[in-house]
Amino acid sequence: VAKTSLTSPPWPEVPKLPDPVEEAKYHAEVVQKVNGMISAGQYGRLFAVVHFASKQWKITSEDLIMMDNVLEAECGDRIRLEKVLLVGADDFTLIGRPLLGKDLVRVEATVIEKTESWPKINMRFWKRHNYQRKKIITNPQTVLRINTIEIYPCLS
Amino acid sequence: MVVLSAARWVRSRLTDRFWRVQEVLKYARHFRGRKNRCYKLAVRSVRRAFVRSTKARREKKRFLRALWITRIEAASLEHGLKYPAFISNLVKSQVELNRKVLADLAIYEPKTFKSLAALAQRRRQEGFLAALGDGKEPEGIFSRIVRHHY
Repeated sequence: VAKTSLTSPPWPEVPKLPDPVEEAKYHAEVVQKVNGMISAGQYGRLFAVVHFASKQWKITSEDLIMMDNVLEAECGDRIRLEKVLLVGADDFTLIGRPLLGKDLVRVEATVIEKTESWPKINMRFWKRHNYQRKKIITNPQTVLRINTIEIYPCLS
Repeated sequence: MVVLSAARWVRSRLTDRFWRVQEVLKYARHFRGRKNRCYKLAVRSVRRAFVRSTKARREKKRFLRALWITRIEAASLEHGLKYPAFISNLVKSQVELNRKVLADLAIYEPKTFKSLAALAQRRRQEGFLAALGDGKEPEGIFSRIVRHHY
């Protein structure tokens, strides 16, 4: 029978997925390998994606974060950032769905500075209507220093 | 005798006109032309500058999001995936990374972005297989898809 435009379906051929049993074996191997690497400490600098103050931040150790709000903690307090979405090193990444476990990652930060932002000017003006309003806004800001990111070998 | 108001011959003179004018001119010093020197022109320019900066603060968010989306699209095309497929499959795999972080990963952590693209691709194929089902047609229906070619 000649091939027409309707011989094969219009969507492309989907390649078959690998065998689930073999896949499970391969996954277990990879997990063991990564666990071994973590417990042996064979990683350089770790980076993490953390959800904090309703924003997501990509952070490493010793870097500064500034958020546009007040934190109820004094300057010099050590804070643990839970809600880690992703942790990565050079050879492996741990992707959370959506979050990683608290027994797997530990991100510590210190509150350094609590200030106000530079005075931002809010102005509204309608022409020919003699309407102008000027307001100066200073948002409170907090600066955190990320001290350490640690991972523990409790993958399964 | 108690005096509640100043006598009518006492006139008050404006003594800090210089500083009131400088308050406005300091925001106009980097402008072009006479509006960085002359108060009358500067007042209008500074007012427009303030209004434009307030409106721009709202549009900056839209602009940055479009920039992140362009960057993620470029990075995912390098790995053979289109942006809608990438984002939708990441969301279906319960990975809640936002576009800002995805753009940063695409720039600074290429290996991580490659693994995310592979995750999205795998979820996409699983979705296709789940949608196609067994590949058998329902009973009593004849379709033009002929399986065996002679």
